[in-house]
Amino acid sequence: MRIEHVSRSFGGVSAVADLTLALGRGEIMGFLGANGAGKTTTIKMIIGLVRPSSGCISVLGGDPADSAVRAKIGYMPEIAYYYPYLNARELLSFYGGLCGMDGRTVRARAGELLETVGLADAAKRPLKTYSKGMLQRAGIAQALLNDPDLLVLDEPFTGLDPLARIHFRDLMRRLREQGKTIFFSSHELGETELLCDTVAIMKGGRAVYQGPVRQLAGNGERNLERLFLDVLSKGGAA
Amino acid sequence: MKTLIRQIKALVRLSFMELWRRNDVLALVILALALMVPLSLSSPFGAAGASRYLDEAALLLIWAFSLFISLGTGARLFPPEFESRTIYPLLAKPISRGALLAGKYLGAVAASASALAIFYLLFVGCSLLRGGSLSMEVLQGFVFHLAFVALAVALALAGSLVVTPSANLTLSATALTAMFFFGRRLPDYADAVSAPLSWLVRLAYALGPHVEFFDMRQRLIHGWGGVDAVVFAAVLAYAVAYAGVCLVFAWLILKRKRF
Repeated sequence: MRIEHVSRSFGGVSAVADLTLALGRGEIMGFLGANGAGKTTTIKMIIGLVRPSSGCISVLGGDPADSAVRAKIGYMPEIAYYYPYLNARELLSFYGGLCGMDGRTVRARAGELLETVGLADAAKRPLKTYSKGMLQRAGIAQALLNDPDLLVLDEPFTGLDPLARIHFRDLMRRLREQGKTIFFSSHELGETELLCDTVAIMKGGRAVYQGPVRQLAGNGERNLERLFLDVLSKGGAA
Repeated sequence: MKTLIRQIKALVRLSFMELWRRNDVLALVILALALMVPLSLSSPFGAAGASRYLDEAALLLIWAFSLFISLGTGARLFPPEFESRTIYPLLAKPISRGALLAGKYLGAVAASASALAIFYLLFVGCSLLRGGSLSMEVLQGFVFHLAFVALAVALALAGSLVVTPSANLTLSATALTAMFFFGRRLPDYADAVSAPLSWLVRLAYALGPHVEFFDMRQRLIHGWGGVDAVVFAAVLAYAVAYAGVCLVFAWLILKRKRF
């Protein structure tokens, strides 16, 4: 995924300014920043929902506005209250249809994913009876349904209990081992530090830091939380 | 093409599930049963021609229910997706906005048509209970009613992308009900008043959805027979054209809509 000098403004208000990011195959990048820093707008541009005002975004070698490129992207929004009258299996069947998958493939994939995200026992319960964390897991399942090469997740830890977070981290690591690229926004610095290869920190629509996480670990003094605070207070590269 | 068909199929199925799992439609079917069956078994005041009044009441009930269902279904196609944020994963899938609109529209029409078919079956059943017979005019009336549903869903869908859900329902229901009751009298009214009011009435007549074209109630009640093939085709063409204009308008809005 390559984002080159991308800017996006809404009615004269700049949401993202001259953003440049690069993410290689099989990497996990955490996308950090305070509320209103431009994270969600960037994510919407990556999945083709919003067009950049200027600059260029290339995802998996193509334009994310192109359906063929979106067919290789999995996206999970921060919190979506999925159709309350469906159960999890029907939800995945619906999204599978939208991805153009045939019924047999969807059924097989849905069974596998519901097992993976720990919803197999609740698969026939209507989604209106699900907790926030269960809805989040259903969201992860729908994002993985088309076996995407790039996974874009908006605040994936929201609503997950500690056990579900551990399972989620394990799942993301397994996906990385399979060569999947993962890009997620988060306010959870601890989880980000444990999971990511690189982080990008946004402030006022600009990336004020982009670099590896591993060199921060074990330092004792300079963990991600400290880096985050330093970068945001200085507003420049750390 | 196969992908597009699967996408449309998934959206149609979703509309069916939503309509039939929401209890309000089931409540309407039960209400129709509760009103129409006892009416069909009764003989009010022992009058011989009372059957016509019962048919009129039943058909008016069906029109009211179909208006409620088609407007409700059409108006609910997009706003809940925005509110619950499911529009994001929906548009992130490899589906174009045009296909999304087409699938949602077809799903809403098909789901509303399924409810309408049940109401007409009830009507025919009640009519048979009273010793009536099944006529081709009922089938023609049903097809006209389906065309009305297709038009009403398109109107509510287009409105749902422009104004708030409550404003959309109020405006659509007012326009459709007003045209249903007063549509055929508007030209006479325009002749009777002076300008500029007459211009406004003529403009309303030109732009308004002509629901009265689809109303076969009097023909069914009084046994006047069906309309001829040319009129039948012209009315269906009008419904297709009106719904088409609403859908193109909705597509232009959806295409430019920022999420």
